[in-house]
Amino acid sequence: MKSTKLIKSFFLTTWPIYSLSLFLHFVSNWINVNFPKVLGRFTDQLQLGSLTHDKVVSFSLLLLAIGIGHVLFNGGAMYLVMYVGRKFEFHVRGQLFHHFTQMSERFYSSNGVGRLLSYFMNDVTAVRESISMGFNATANATMLLAAAVAMMITSGIPLYLIGASVFPLLLIPFIVVYLGPIIRKRSLAVQESLGRMTELAEEQFGGVRVTKKFAAEDVMEQRFNASVDEIRRNQLLLVKVSSFFQALIPYLGTIALITALAFGGYLAIHGRITLGNFVALTLYVRLLMNPLQQIGNVVNSIQRSRASLERLNGLLTQRSEIIESDYAREVNLSTAVLRIRNLTFAYNPTSQPVLQNVQLTLKPGSTLGIIGRTGSGKTTLMKLLLRMYDPPESSILFGNTDIRDMTLESLRSQIAYVPQDGFLFSTTIRENIAFHNRSAKLCTVKTAAKQAQIYDNIVDLPSRFDTRLGERGLTLSGGQRQRTSLARGLIKNAPLLILDDSVSAVDTVTEKEIIRTIRKERAGKTTIIIAHRISAIKHADVILVLDEGAIVQKGTHEELLRAPGLYAELHAIQEEGQQHATGTGYS
Amino acid sequence: MRPAQAIHNWQMDQKADPNMPEQKPQYVSAFRALSRYVRPHIVSFSLVFLFTIIAILSDLLQPYLMKIAIDDNLLAGRNDYQGLLLICAAYFALSASSFLFTYLQNNLLQRIGQSIVGLIRKQLFSHILRLSMRYFDRMSSGSLITHISSDTEALNQFFNQVLLSLFRDGLTLILIIAMMFHLDSQLALYCLVLLPVISLIAIGFRSFMRTTYQLARTRLSRMVAFVAENLSGMNLVQAFHQQREQEKQFNERNGLYFQANVREIRTNILFGRTFDVLSNLSIAFVTWVGGNAVLGDHLAFGVLYAFITYIRQFFQPINTITQQWNTLQSATVAISRIWTVFESEPDVKDPKKAAEDWNEQDVRGRIEFDHISFAYEPDVPIIRNLQLTIAPGEMIGVVGTTGAGKSSLISLLCRFYDVQEGAIRIDGFDVRHIPQASLHRMVGLVQQDPYLYSGSIIDNVRLFDESISREEVIAACEFVGASTVIQKLIGGYDTKLSERGSGLSSGERQLISFARIIVFKPKVLILDEASANLDSQTEQLIQSALHAVSRNRTTIVIAHRLSTIQQADRILVMSKGQIVEEGTHSQLVEAGGHYQELYENSK
Repeated sequence: MKSTKLIKSFFLTTWPIYSLSLFLHFVSNWINVNFPKVLGRFTDQLQLGSLTHDKVVSFSLLLLAIGIGHVLFNGGAMYLVMYVGRKFEFHVRGQLFHHFTQMSERFYSSNGVGRLLSYFMNDVTAVRESISMGFNATANATMLLAAAVAMMITSGIPLYLIGASVFPLLLIPFIVVYLGPIIRKRSLAVQESLGRMTELAEEQFGGVRVTKKFAAEDVMEQRFNASVDEIRRNQLLLVKVSSFFQALIPYLGTIALITALAFGGYLAIHGRITLGNFVALTLYVRLLMNPLQQIGNVVNSIQRSRASLERLNGLLTQRSEIIESDYAREVNLSTAVLRIRNLTFAYNPTSQPVLQNVQLTLKPGSTLGIIGRTGSGKTTLMKLLLRMYDPPESSILFGNTDIRDMTLESLRSQIAYVPQDGFLFSTTIRENIAFHNRSAKLCTVKTAAKQAQIYDNIVDLPSRFDTRLGERGLTLSGGQRQRTSLARGLIKNAPLLILDDSVSAVDTVTEKEIIRTIRKERAGKTTIIIAHRISAIKHADVILVLDEGAIVQKGTHEELLRAPGLYAELHAIQEEGQQHATGTGYS
Repeated sequence: MRPAQAIHNWQMDQKADPNMPEQKPQYVSAFRALSRYVRPHIVSFSLVFLFTIIAILSDLLQPYLMKIAIDDNLLAGRNDYQGLLLICAAYFALSASSFLFTYLQNNLLQRIGQSIVGLIRKQLFSHILRLSMRYFDRMSSGSLITHISSDTEALNQFFNQVLLSLFRDGLTLILIIAMMFHLDSQLALYCLVLLPVISLIAIGFRSFMRTTYQLARTRLSRMVAFVAENLSGMNLVQAFHQQREQEKQFNERNGLYFQANVREIRTNILFGRTFDVLSNLSIAFVTWVGGNAVLGDHLAFGVLYAFITYIRQFFQPINTITQQWNTLQSATVAISRIWTVFESEPDVKDPKKAAEDWNEQDVRGRIEFDHISFAYEPDVPIIRNLQLTIAPGEMIGVVGTTGAGKSSLISLLCRFYDVQEGAIRIDGFDVRHIPQASLHRMVGLVQQDPYLYSGSIIDNVRLFDESISREEVIAACEFVGASTVIQKLIGGYDTKLSERGSGLSSGERQLISFARIIVFKPKVLILDEASANLDSQTEQLIQSALHAVSRNRTTIVIAHRLSTIQQADRILVMSKGQIVEEGTHSQLVEAGGHYQELYENSK
């Protein structure tokens, strides 16, 4: 079966440790079961009157030795297995992260971050728990059961007495297996209703102005109260099963004890077993209660972890659709002409094409502007240029090489991509800007920051370029994030720069300044600028107007203005809309 | 730690306010506050107490019954099997009642706890919702959510775990000691010496364990945060070809977490085993002391057997109680935090007695700002001595740089804050004398970022108010021109929306908030940069919606783009909290002042 792949390779390397641990469990329990026996012998000697003060001392010491021996071996056995369990977790997480870095955007768009994170955290942990805690509990309980039964038999307790006393205990694992999933399901329901309440509170506090403004406090309160009542209901449902469970296990224990007391007592009275054996028997029954309960837990956790393991293996066997071909080669983008031929592309074979029959030739060193409404396919085109998705064969070529025959490293290290959302990592500003090469000198980072008009903002921050962002650190405004992200693209000084609506949150004055810098710095290098505003692209050598995936107009700013069409229309609307009342809108 | 918990913590950390000070638990005041909620349940609590005693009795009497069986029946040589059966029957009855009462006690305690926690949750939410905007400015919404969900959950754990354990384990411990004294006071005294030793070791270990646990927790959340971030930014990592570098950084974090885990395992095992060794040591000790006593006929063997069993039972409750220490601490902190929220009073209060002749229906919408001044902080005046009168039905445009006081003016009119000097009047009534709910119904506000609730489009327009009919909502949507967009959606008017990822563009969301205005029919309408951030086509749609909405209403439009307000009856230019220019578009352009400059600049 495929799902055992991860586990198999793990056990192949760790089996000596597991065997050692099993051995230690055996020794520890073998020592442990001597405890009731010794106490039984103590009783017998006492009854026979052969006990002396010296013997009392040696019995005490013997009990102490048993206790300590059991504890030491048991501790060792548990440590070994828990240690390898964590090692397993460590390796699998490393493997998963590596796998994540290989997967393409299609993978990410069909799996949300939350879901992947749950693979990464919950599933890995579930498997780890069953191969470490599960192993420990099973090994411990079976060894104890075997050793205890063997010990009882050898000390002359009749088999039928053992059977009758231990039988109620053997029911425990089955009850755990039966009730465990129910408890789990109900406790998940509690968690979910808690989550819903949190979401509702989040929503209410986020939109408190609206709530207040429409005087809707009472209605919102009712909604919230309903979610609180649901938590209460789920919690009470949970406690009904869980407390039944909690009461039932000790109850079975006492039933076993009562059997031992009645049946064993009868035999002891009639001299069929010694008083010592009777005492030992009651102690064995007590000893077995806990381990048997754990076995039930193990069964449940193994069931859960089997599903987890399958999910993990399934995830790891998924292959990225973006694969370097065997004869992939490097192409120098600073001299290669970019050619797009009859490019039609759909995200799914069944869905509407996002790009239709796109044709373009771009000489190295020129600037291309792209404009169009949201959803017209601009960003998709850029993703294809970066090979985030695979374009159809021979539809995008650099020089004479199909983009699919280039090495990914050669392609991506020569393109600087500045996305619209200005995504930054929770690290220092310096590391964010120098993302393509973390060891870049501070002076180059500073230059890039100046070019992106973010330098002045950065030097105002408490630790300047070493200021940490996000996650309990500082947060930047939308415009500042975009400009930092722009600096991250500019510092790369790549043969091809793609600005994907990268200055949308920047005010007009700063935008003008940025465009001026880009024109200067990018002289002789290829630049593609996507924008909503005409002002950002009017200087381009060629401008494409995209509409519903097709190029509807192509030309320079002046040419397009003269021709009737979408471009001139947009220009007319924007000239009016451009009348910004302030120059400080976003900064 | 449960991994789901780790993800939850990470999400909470993201929301939490990093500047929130660490609080020391203040037990006395916290529990005095809580006692108000506990008092109504006092009878139930006594019942829980009673149930608990019955529930643990059977477990505790078992060794005692065994002692009787051994000493009186087996060792006495009377071969009294009937007596033994009687003991068995007693034992069976006890355990059956224990089964029943454990179940009852758990359920009852939960019922009480859940009622209290639920009540506090509801009251807390209702209280926060009624605090004034100044409070929401000061507190991050993350920390408010923490109060509602994490803090009340800590309280819940207090009832679930701490109280349960205090009841059960505390009573068990006390009864065991009582039992031991009953059996043999001298031997019991010897055993009692152990108690402080065990407790000290347990408490010492706990604090040590907590540091290792916290180390693991911090490293885990760091790793989760790193992975979450890289998963969402993977396209960048790949576009910059940084997979190897990110993997290196991940492995560092993963390795650190692994080390912390190994440390945690070691501590846990060490602690557990030390406890076991102690338990064994005391058994050996009891055997030694007791054995000698039995030999000297000071003690019956059955008593010794019972002692050995009791000593074994002794350790469990101590262990459990010390485990509750951390929960108790966090619950106490949570209680004090919740009560701090309860203590904060809204700055803006409803008038004790509303203006007598105030009638919502008759409002015509005449607004007066009578020489008002306002500041968020004492030294930084936002609005200085502003004077403005707006006639009913008039449309006013307001322009000015960021920080000129435009939005503050609006917030004052909505009475999110109170003016420090002067007065704001609607139809001659001071806003401070109008009930807030009434004022809010009368003044409608559309903001730059339309806010959507999770729910259908219908519910979003009528804000879950069932008294507004579906037809009314649909008519409103048609009126503002949102119906074509909505009908294109798969679910139509019943499409579920949410604040994130609703599938609507920001323009479409704005249309929905316009429909709200139509449905709630405010007499005064304020648009606070409602059409910024939109692309050109959508803006035109919004413009026509605006025309539809502003008819027959006093309307105030704050705008970024001059085009939005050119048709206004009057345009105000604000600067530094004052009105510096006033007039129609053409008047202002002719006047050649600040407005004209803005107009030229934007061409």
